[in-house]
Amino acid sequence: MTTRFPFSTTMRRPIAAATALMLAVTPALVQAQQGPPGGQMQLPPGASGGPPPGAPTGPVLTDAQKIVADLPPPGPGLIPPRPPLPADAVMPTADPRDLQGTWVNNQPLQFRSQRDMYGALAPYTMAGAKVLSRRVMSLKAGKPFINASAICRPPGPQWQRDLNFPFSIIQDKDHVEVLFEEYHGRWYISLDPQGVPLPTQKQYMGRSIGHWDGGTLVVETTDFRQAIWLDVDGTPLSANGKLIQRMRKVSDVGRVPFLEVVTTIIDPTYYTAPWTIVRTFGWAPHQAVFAEYNCEEQVGDPSVSADAGLVPEPRD
Amino acid sequence: MAIDHRMTRRIARASLVGTMLGLASMACGQSAPPMGANLEGVWKIAAPTTVLKPIAGAVPFTAEGRKAYEANKTLRVQRKFDDYDITLSRCSNPGVPRLALTPMRFKIWNRQGVVTFDYEWNRALRQINVGVPPQPDLMGQGLVPTMTGKSKGHWEGDTLVSVMQGGSDRTLIDDLVPHGYDLKVTERYRLVDANTLEDRITVEDPAFFTQPWTSVVTYKRQPDAIFAEDVCLDRIAAKQPAFSK
Repeated sequence: MTTRFPFSTTMRRPIAAATALMLAVTPALVQAQQGPPGGQMQLPPGASGGPPPGAPTGPVLTDAQKIVADLPPPGPGLIPPRPPLPADAVMPTADPRDLQGTWVNNQPLQFRSQRDMYGALAPYTMAGAKVLSRRVMSLKAGKPFINASAICRPPGPQWQRDLNFPFSIIQDKDHVEVLFEEYHGRWYISLDPQGVPLPTQKQYMGRSIGHWDGGTLVVETTDFRQAIWLDVDGTPLSANGKLIQRMRKVSDVGRVPFLEVVTTIIDPTYYTAPWTIVRTFGWAPHQAVFAEYNCEEQVGDPSVSADAGLVPEPRD
Repeated sequence: MAIDHRMTRRIARASLVGTMLGLASMACGQSAPPMGANLEGVWKIAAPTTVLKPIAGAVPFTAEGRKAYEANKTLRVQRKFDDYDITLSRCSNPGVPRLALTPMRFKIWNRQGVVTFDYEWNRALRQINVGVPPQPDLMGQGLVPTMTGKSKGHWEGDTLVSVMQGGSDRTLIDDLVPHGYDLKVTERYRLVDANTLEDRITVEDPAFFTQPWTSVVTYKRQPDAIFAEDVCLDRIAAKQPAFSK
């Protein structure tokens, strides 16, 4: 990731405002791309339409990508209101290998991660495109599928991080623990699988082993107990998929550091090649006291529908 | 834990620098415990029990408290668990103080002005705020009573004192003893020795108890570990009890 943008708590409202502005101007942008309304564009004398000879053409979509490109667009994500970082708040340590503290996604929630960090459409296999399409269309039809989060099961590390709710990172010499406010989320990363063994049984959150690459914590997560949804719309990852997360503090002088997590998704079942997304998380020590998450109270309530109106997803 | 000592030194250094530069004191520094009060580690209840037993006498029920308690006993015999104990029937958070009786391990973290109880059982969380300034409740989350309520803590020497209020009346004190919205739980956590943690729990609720009553639960230090995912609802789905041994 070469793009760096310093985070400050005062950026949240501008980001939200920018998002709203972007939404407001989107129809105008679409119209501009399609040309002026009601007629043929007037070209200068001697000019012909289209790109000049030899100019690179746009990306050619695979049949699988065309399926995804034709889906209804994902909903616009928002940033929930959060209290601003107090001026006297404790700051992260200067040690790049100390990621400890409380962080929260500082970008609008991405309901569907269908493009990589460079803007290219994800390299879906036909199976991946069909699974995503099935999930998006079920949502559109008002009959969304049951997923892990809907039944109080751990939804996987990507979904868990993406939510705009805080999480705290705690480091020990041989492992890292991430405690999430939501879903009773725990993400354990072993830095020394021989010293502190990971559970032998497969976990919903997978099996995560990390090492330091300079000031970046590189974490490989594999061996998921079941296939997971990478986001709310259901971008798929099979149980045999792998996530490689590169986590680092980005700290420009005079700015409040933020946490960057670059995640590479590797899953031949659903993607023809690895693809990578990036998220950033703001420093939030003032949100270290979490709101309680107790989904079991609602899910188990006999007076309401156990599946909350969701329907089982057909098996592949 | 090793990181804690490094953190303490970093915090001390940062506090010193901050003071020298005339900066405002950091929240972390305000809540740092005194030397010798490091409760961090992995712990497990020394003598597993489902009953929070008063250190003297019986639970001092009011008439209303006694009536609710007897009703719970009847419902238990009838196996109508969801009518009085949604922890057993649904895996709902047991709340405070019942979390103190969970049979599985838990970790204590003391970071950023918050003491976090990180339970192995169903990955439950309970936090005691010892130094984070109140924040505006922009999402209205404070309007709803929660199972663990709000716990405000401070240090008295080597003892962490926590006062919990604002808990839901849908939890129990233990596996049978009821309470209302006015429940107040005062806990005093201290190390009896390096490997023994004591929680002295005082329960107050004028509607249910004629006077405050106190119980003591002790824990033994366990080896550091990465906990396996414990998913209570998977146990329920497999027709197993909510609390495994």
